[in-house]
Amino acid sequence: MKRLSRFFRTYRPFTRAGMQEMVAYRANFICFFIGEIMSAFIMYFVWKAVFLSSDSETFMGFTMEDMVVYLFITFLTGYLTYSDGAFSVGMEILDGSIAMRMVRPCSFEMCFLFQELGNRLISMTMIFVPMVAGVEIYRFCITGEVRFNLMYFGFYLLSLVFAYMISFYFNVIYGFMAFFFKNLWGTTLVKETLVSFLSGGIIPLAFLPTGLANVLNFLPFASLSYTPVMIYMGMYSVTEILWRIGLQIFWMLVMMGLSKLVWNSAVKHLSIQGG
Amino acid sequence: MEKMIYVEELRKEFKKIIKEPGFKGSVKALFKPNKEIVKAVDGISFEVPKGEILGFLGPNGAGKSTVIKMLTGILMPTSGKCVINGQIPQKNRKNYVKEIGVVFGQRTQLWWDLALRETYAVLKEIYEVPDDQYKKRMAFLNEVLELDGFITSPVRTLSLGQRMRADIAASLLHSPKVLFLDEPTIGLDVVVKENIRNAIKKINEEEGTTVVLTTHDLSDIEMLCERIVMIDKGKKVFDGELKELKHNFGNFRTFAFELKNEHDFDKLDYRMKYRLTDENFSIEHDKTSVCVKFNADRVSVEDMIAYTLSVVHINDMQVKDVEIEEIIKRLYRREVEV
Amino acid sequence: MRRYFRLHRIFIVQYLKRLMEYKTDFLLGAIGLLISQAFQILFIGIIFSQIPNLQGWSFEEIIFIYGFSLIPKSLDHLFFDNLWMVGYRIVKKGDFDKYLTRPINSLFHVCVENFCVDAFGEMLTCGLLLGYAIPRLELPFRWYTIPLLLVVVVFATMIYTSLKIMTAAISFWTKESGHITHMLYMTNDFSKYPVTIYNRAVQAIITYVIPFAFTAYFPASYFLTGKDPLFCIGGTVIAGTVLFVIALFVWNRGIRAYESAGS
Repeated sequence: MKRLSRFFRTYRPFTRAGMQEMVAYRANFICFFIGEIMSAFIMYFVWKAVFLSSDSETFMGFTMEDMVVYLFITFLTGYLTYSDGAFSVGMEILDGSIAMRMVRPCSFEMCFLFQELGNRLISMTMIFVPMVAGVEIYRFCITGEVRFNLMYFGFYLLSLVFAYMISFYFNVIYGFMAFFFKNLWGTTLVKETLVSFLSGGIIPLAFLPTGLANVLNFLPFASLSYTPVMIYMGMYSVTEILWRIGLQIFWMLVMMGLSKLVWNSAVKHLSIQGG
Repeated sequence: MEKMIYVEELRKEFKKIIKEPGFKGSVKALFKPNKEIVKAVDGISFEVPKGEILGFLGPNGAGKSTVIKMLTGILMPTSGKCVINGQIPQKNRKNYVKEIGVVFGQRTQLWWDLALRETYAVLKEIYEVPDDQYKKRMAFLNEVLELDGFITSPVRTLSLGQRMRADIAASLLHSPKVLFLDEPTIGLDVVVKENIRNAIKKINEEEGTTVVLTTHDLSDIEMLCERIVMIDKGKKVFDGELKELKHNFGNFRTFAFELKNEHDFDKLDYRMKYRLTDENFSIEHDKTSVCVKFNADRVSVEDMIAYTLSVVHINDMQVKDVEIEEIIKRLYRREVEV
Repeated sequence: MRRYFRLHRIFIVQYLKRLMEYKTDFLLGAIGLLISQAFQILFIGIIFSQIPNLQGWSFEEIIFIYGFSLIPKSLDHLFFDNLWMVGYRIVKKGDFDKYLTRPINSLFHVCVENFCVDAFGEMLTCGLLLGYAIPRLELPFRWYTIPLLLVVVVFATMIYTSLKIMTAAISFWTKESGHITHMLYMTNDFSKYPVTIYNRAVQAIITYVIPFAFTAYFPASYFLTGKDPLFCIGGTVIAGTVLFVIALFVWNRGIRAYESAGS
């Protein structure tokens, strides 16, 4: 307990720094956010047109209402679990300032983690409540009943935390690898497109051929976005939810282990590079 | 003499938004910003004749760079006038900049990823330098700035000194009539500084290029400039020859010596003896070494030495003219009026 | 003018030399764009596996409009990518000084300094999509179709570039404006689909406010149907011209307000 409180005291300043940074750049953040959410609205109109053009009420098992919830909650989940620690790691390795991180008496990735948590905390307050409220109001208007389920929502939040942790460690690993390339923009685009597809960000996994969908459901990428979104939508039974969250925890531990391995070899590489 | 640069009542004001702390403050700043006007340059006038090297001096934040940026056409003056080489920089910028060269010591105009030679090839096109003239020019710059050793290396691999030489060459490629150098020796070691100063001097002498130079390093000024303009807080505080500045400052001397016995220091009391005030006198000591700065118009050098020798035993002594650093330091502190 | 073309060529040659040092990075950038477009097409494909048409538009027509939208987008990307850096970095760090001390147009200079070959990824996608769609559609082809296409492409690219110039120029007052560019630029994705699928408000915005509809849907629908040339083609020309004039005006005003940075 004492160790835990000390742990939090050590990293609290990073969280605070992350929050302040976010507050200082909130105008940029809002502009960026509006730009990004545009794609969700385009998809909304495309799906509306799809449902209008289709004879049936459902599209591969999704109603229009499901689709809208899926689109916007996927967007929100993607936004909240997005981690760009990787970019910072890559940059710091390139310009050598990572050495400063290594001489400090605190865990290197924890500094990033807590800084980003502070960041996320502020963006949560700015976008989370309005978006969830918007989605629920839309559902209410369409169906005439309150679809919001507190239990699913609670599980969603829990699943979101694990999704973020997987995303964080995955991106730390990516960051260590990416510094071999100079065009971080290009590699990041490749990575983000692939991750987005594999995690159901472009097309719900359920729409893919069954064999492929089953495989993707087990990969860590589904844990990043598809799992929490499905939980939010109430698509899973309680047993399935627990099972899915278990899978998330498994992938989180794997990513943590891998990031340690990559970190160790990166440090070796670093000491060879510096004369 | 023909005037190359003519500056009259030049002013530049910046608006600065003062934000009150906290969230409330940011909301307020968004709707009703609390603006404050900062006068970066506050009515400066001076002239530079053709072929002169002018030293432009001032402490950090005095407005030196702002003046240079207005003279080079980068910034619009709030009011006032500057005419350089018969042109107003902001009026026909593209035409004007053909005749000037600019070096900002803290940033480079070279293409980072390319071999240095490529940068010159591109600049040749930008400034429309004819082939034969380009060849001659490169040979000349090569001789003065010794670019040969690294002209095929990518710019990112150059040392700071090499990069600065390359940057100066880049700004001279089109044989400008005026050369603006903003901190050309910043961060360089003594030998490289010396090289760069010699190059500037040579170009000035051989081609009659007018040079405006800002610097922190006063030895740049002593080596290169006969005339200096000094500004502080946006206003001109001195304009004249270096000799004049030294003269105006007073006939100050530095008298340094080593005491035989450390405790003897307390016996020395120049202030009482010659009724000297802080304006005319200062003293520093570190164990046995003592350094006295005094106005030789008030006390003669002979008297000072005689008194010192009569009170204490000394090992070694030296009398010098006061250094320019000292003058500048005092000027900034407004201890002397010029 | 000839001098500027010559300079542009010289800059591109220099850029390609630089590129040779970073071959892998170039490939990754182009592949990244190709893959991200490919998944979008996959998405359209999955939709069409379930429905015969999208509000009256066939799969080939949608692909044609989508592919068409990539022509001006990739051209703008290829030639004018450096404008992003103006809003994100160049002005903030005071690096814009350099462009003002050169005897060529600052806007031209800043644009040609970077030549973004990543855009070849988009161009390749564009070629594949149009190559797939055109033979399967019965496009009305007349002698003036090709010249008209060239004209439209120029003005459609101008819509993209002008919006970037305008928003980049905001940084002359605010120091940083990359996020504003991002915000407006992202609306270009609306132009990939027929505007008829959007509601009135969105249609009005992308037609009259941020006229990205003229970069793809309107001209593309003219080439598909041959109808309404005045609005579809004329609109693109007018939108491109008007935006470009405004952009130049804002840019020139911005330069006067430019405050450089630090010492």
